[in-house]
Amino acid sequence: MKSFGYTAVRDPGEAVRLGGRPGTAFIAGGTDLLNLMKDGVTRPDRLVDVNGLELAWVTETASGLRIGGLARMRAVAGHGSVRRGWPVLAEALLASASPQVRNMASIGGNLLQRTRCGYFRDSGSPCNKRVPGSGCPAIDGWSRGHAVLGGSDACIATHPSDLAVAMVALDAVVLVRGSGGERRIPIGEFYLRPGTTPHVENVLRQGELITAVEVPRTGMARRSRYLKLRDRATFEFAVVSVAAAVELNERRVRDVRLAFGGIGTTPWRSPEAEEVLRGKDLTADTIARAGRALVRDAKPRHDNEFKVDLVQRALAELLEGLR
Amino acid sequence: MAESTGAARPTRRTVLKTAAVTAGGAALAPRTAVAAGAGEVAAGPGETAVVTLSVNGKRRAVEVEPRVTLLDALRERLGLTGTKKGCDRGECGACTVLVDGERVKSCLTLAVMRQGSEITTIEGLAQGERLHPVQEAFIRHDAFQCGGCTSGQIMSAVACIDEGHAGSDQEIREWMSGNLCRCACYQNIVAAVADAAKGARS
Amino acid sequence: MTELVGRSVARVDGRAKVTGAAIYAADQPVPDALHGVLVMSTVARGEVLRIDASAALAHPGVVAVLTHRDLPKLVVPHFPYVKRFIPMQGTAVHHVGQPVAIVLATTLEQAQEGAALVSVDYRAEKPSVVIDDAREPAFLPQPFRDRPNEIRRGDAASALREAPVRLEARYSSATRHHNPIEPHTTTARWDGDRVTLFESAQGVLVTRTVVATAFGLPPESVRVVAPYLGGGFGAKGPGWPHTLLTAAAARVARRPVRLVLSRAQMYTSAGHRAEYRQHLRIGATREGRLTAIAETSTAQLTATEDSVFNRSDSTIGLYTCPNLHVRHEGVRLDVASSSYMRSPETTSHFGLETALDELSWQLSIDPLELRRRNHAEFNQETGERLTSKRLLECYAMAAERFGWARRQPRTGATKDGDEYVGWGMATETHTFAAMPSTASVTVGVDGKALAQLATQDIGTGTYTVVTQIVADALGLPLRDVQAQIGDSALPPAGLSAASATIPSISGSVDQAARAARDAVVALAVADRHSPLFGAAPAEIETRDGRLVHLRDRHRHDTYRAVVGRAGEPVRRTATVLNQGGHTYGVVFLEARVHARFGSVRVTRVVTAHDLGRVMNRRTARGQVLGGVTWGIGHALMEHTVFDRNTGRVVNPNLSTYLVPVNADAPPEVETLFVDKPDPASTAMGARGFGETPITGVPAAIGNAIYHATGRRLRDLPITQDKLL
Repeated sequence: MKSFGYTAVRDPGEAVRLGGRPGTAFIAGGTDLLNLMKDGVTRPDRLVDVNGLELAWVTETASGLRIGGLARMRAVAGHGSVRRGWPVLAEALLASASPQVRNMASIGGNLLQRTRCGYFRDSGSPCNKRVPGSGCPAIDGWSRGHAVLGGSDACIATHPSDLAVAMVALDAVVLVRGSGGERRIPIGEFYLRPGTTPHVENVLRQGELITAVEVPRTGMARRSRYLKLRDRATFEFAVVSVAAAVELNERRVRDVRLAFGGIGTTPWRSPEAEEVLRGKDLTADTIARAGRALVRDAKPRHDNEFKVDLVQRALAELLEGLR
Repeated sequence: MAESTGAARPTRRTVLKTAAVTAGGAALAPRTAVAAGAGEVAAGPGETAVVTLSVNGKRRAVEVEPRVTLLDALRERLGLTGTKKGCDRGECGACTVLVDGERVKSCLTLAVMRQGSEITTIEGLAQGERLHPVQEAFIRHDAFQCGGCTSGQIMSAVACIDEGHAGSDQEIREWMSGNLCRCACYQNIVAAVADAAKGARS
Repeated sequence: MTELVGRSVARVDGRAKVTGAAIYAADQPVPDALHGVLVMSTVARGEVLRIDASAALAHPGVVAVLTHRDLPKLVVPHFPYVKRFIPMQGTAVHHVGQPVAIVLATTLEQAQEGAALVSVDYRAEKPSVVIDDAREPAFLPQPFRDRPNEIRRGDAASALREAPVRLEARYSSATRHHNPIEPHTTTARWDGDRVTLFESAQGVLVTRTVVATAFGLPPESVRVVAPYLGGGFGAKGPGWPHTLLTAAAARVARRPVRLVLSRAQMYTSAGHRAEYRQHLRIGATREGRLTAIAETSTAQLTATEDSVFNRSDSTIGLYTCPNLHVRHEGVRLDVASSSYMRSPETTSHFGLETALDELSWQLSIDPLELRRRNHAEFNQETGERLTSKRLLECYAMAAERFGWARRQPRTGATKDGDEYVGWGMATETHTFAAMPSTASVTVGVDGKALAQLATQDIGTGTYTVVTQIVADALGLPLRDVQAQIGDSALPPAGLSAASATIPSISGSVDQAARAARDAVVALAVADRHSPLFGAAPAEIETRDGRLVHLRDRHRHDTYRAVVGRAGEPVRRTATVLNQGGHTYGVVFLEARVHARFGSVRVTRVVTAHDLGRVMNRRTARGQVLGGVTWGIGHALMEHTVFDRNTGRVVNPNLSTYLVPVNADAPPEVETLFVDKPDPASTAMGARGFGETPITGVPAAIGNAIYHATGRRLRDLPITQDKLL
């Protein structure tokens, strides 16, 4: 790891002031950042430790749930309000990482974790996300863990966060604070597809800090679930995952949100699949049609074609369970 | 003196001291840490800071660059080699310790981030000659072979029981899965955790 | 006699391991040691053109950056150093992850960053790294360790033509890595022309030989210390470059150097199970008796070595078959050296045991019955009768306990909830080694015994078994016996690889202990101050630390009193030459295949093994538990991925190279043992065992999947996408 400066802060204003300097990174849990630094993927000059900020809370309000950016994964997963009103969040968190990492990692940091693409994490390989313009070996190389949706000629890496998938299904809003003040960013607008600039993964500006995530209270949220498929029993990133939130009138879908992990370059919302379901009964047929709508534009590579099939099966499993 | 970013605010108690390091054989520029507020640390690139930790109930000061992980502070600076480094990436669990009572992977946190924390390592579990019930259960159930993962397994197990995640074998299997055992005596680990949990409940 | 041997004795090193007191190689405090970090080649094939160390040298704390220009010329050691070159002796690059420089610094962090700052220019050629991309066709390598790679018996071609029933299939498996939890590590400290190495080594004497040869030193100038080892699984058996380079760097720097490989570096530094293909043709009678086997395997070899580690021992000799033709072929690829990995037969055995299952379905014969019909009573190569082979007993015990008789003889017959349930079985076998070993046992003036020998405990329980043997032979309680191992300065003993520890050391430890006992008894009966004075030695019993007259039990003495009066310890040494052999067993298991997702879990396992005498039931059971879960990893998830364009390992970690976690291990494993001493054993009736219980598991899983679903999968690992 490169030598870097380190400052622990107590005051949000100071955090964003220090964080605004180029070459500075915030550190909260550190569970992803330190790995990236050890592997030479990122080499910040200075870390600003934000763990002293008073942002590790979870509160339920009339309009929904507010989760501080420094709340730990474990605390959120075990919070009674979360489990009752937004079960998909608890399920996604408990399906993530290991108990130790869930004790350490923050909600804000979780949303900002970087892809597990082996080429991205190997500083001896080219990678457009790590070194813009150097090329993408995954497209013609080992692509089993890669995206079938939202990719470009520059990058097909998936976003690894389970939590982000659940947040997308819940229409969460990310609250950030930077030197220019505070912003509210709907999570659907937070992540950016790679296009020609895969190194730009989200709309955060230098020095902006995730202070909270707001999750609206909806009928769908109460009836929400997460399903994660992987190659070993647990402690692994998703091969594919599905977050679904459904509001039913008898068997008819009043409204629905569907988001997916492991298949997209961002936590993947599928308005097309939702549209198929909205106003329809949750029958095997409509579910299958929703699955087909989800993957209509899928562009599988050499090793990940199975995901096109598997994610439809995962969707069917989850929706059948929500009937 | 180094820049005083972190020292701008008044300090009630100075927990850091100026430190100059010269290591044998190497020509090192003198480095300076910055005094900061209680519980806070600041250091510029290449500087060291003195971090005070409570390790196994003893107050220990350790002088480190910010880039030193808690794991390497324990192993390389404090001589507490019971905590093992298996992957240094949070993927194996061998370095699990308790920080303020919670299990964490000590390779994924910096020592400077743990100023003032209570750290419990494998060396701190036994009371003198008397082993911790989880340590006893690990011996009784042959829950280790080579021992490479064992410190981490045991620290994780202590927390797993404390968290209330040892209610059934199924639950233990899931909540102990952050600790790899390449010798793969997983069934015996589950039995040991279940046994120790039973003792903890009664 | 208390007869501790054979019982389920708790590990005597347990306390050290559960308290963190056990000192592993990288835990040894070595004052003044520098930290070394290797810089590895980023290309797979080519040449180092230029190394720019200026940025690294400018980094605070970096003491030196050593390259091929700086290191002494070293001699390439013979086997068991399996690599045929030593890196950093020239500029040629043969694989990704070949050391090209070593950075020495005061702290670990400085050394790591220094290594990141070294800039290397290469001339690079396009590599070939997987069998499909080989530049040249497969060839038959020269014999490796005097064992030919082509084996013929009878006339397989004719027999196949004439066989009433034929089966032909191709099987394959991916590259795998050992991944012990403790990384490879060396700390080298020179004292003049003598060097001490704190090393994570499966063979302290092997490592001593390798280092002594490389540096042109007499073996006694090299001391290798490894009291504990955080797993090896074959990776730490041969000597590897990092050990030599660390020693060389310490010599150049005139300071002790400690080096620990990173997890990623372990993927190119210490061997792996090679990528493997197998083409099997089997001929049989309608009753299922094998008449011919023709097998050609293709293994990944390297640019510099053509060693075949994954031999087809079970194809050659597990079953009775008069006509055989086996060829171990290979292709040269630009990858790091492969080596032995627990257990090397597993790759080829998967094909054989799957093929037998396929044959059983083809003939509608129960797969267990098919194996019984082909049971080998004779060594297929020498014709000798296999006198103490108890495989048929294993079949009977385990089948009964598993309930195999209730098996439904059709596929897809059982569904439980969302899962198809299938049963599968396979024979298990392993060829173990045994080496000459010497041990000494000393009874001190305090009446306590110390056994000393240069063996290792890789987690299999060596400390415990040595202590049991000595306690039994002397008639001492366990707590009064200590074992000292893991140091090349101790009496020479064998390597802890090829399941050789128990068969190598048990005889010499037992004999040395018995000799020490007899010596103490002789002292007692000759000692006027002993109540046993004048008794015949044959009339003395030793038990619980006491020497008791068998006919007149009032006459007794203690080890402590006898040796104490003598005033000096009693030390005896014994040497036993040993020989290897085979262990056998069987695994039955239940696998569940998710109907919708194709994911597989193994839910119930019953094994039975014949390992001769079981020295310690709990450590033996531990080897079975480990083997079963290794088999699950092998069958269902483990897979090292090389980028075909660059040769770089894409998943050099433990998050995308998947090893089984706790939740993957079957909740229920029953481990049965025949437990009858092998009269041919020189090791108190025991045989080598550690690697046997993985061998059949992958095929048993595949066979269970077939039983569950009717899908036959011949390429490992069987990830869920293959079962959609």
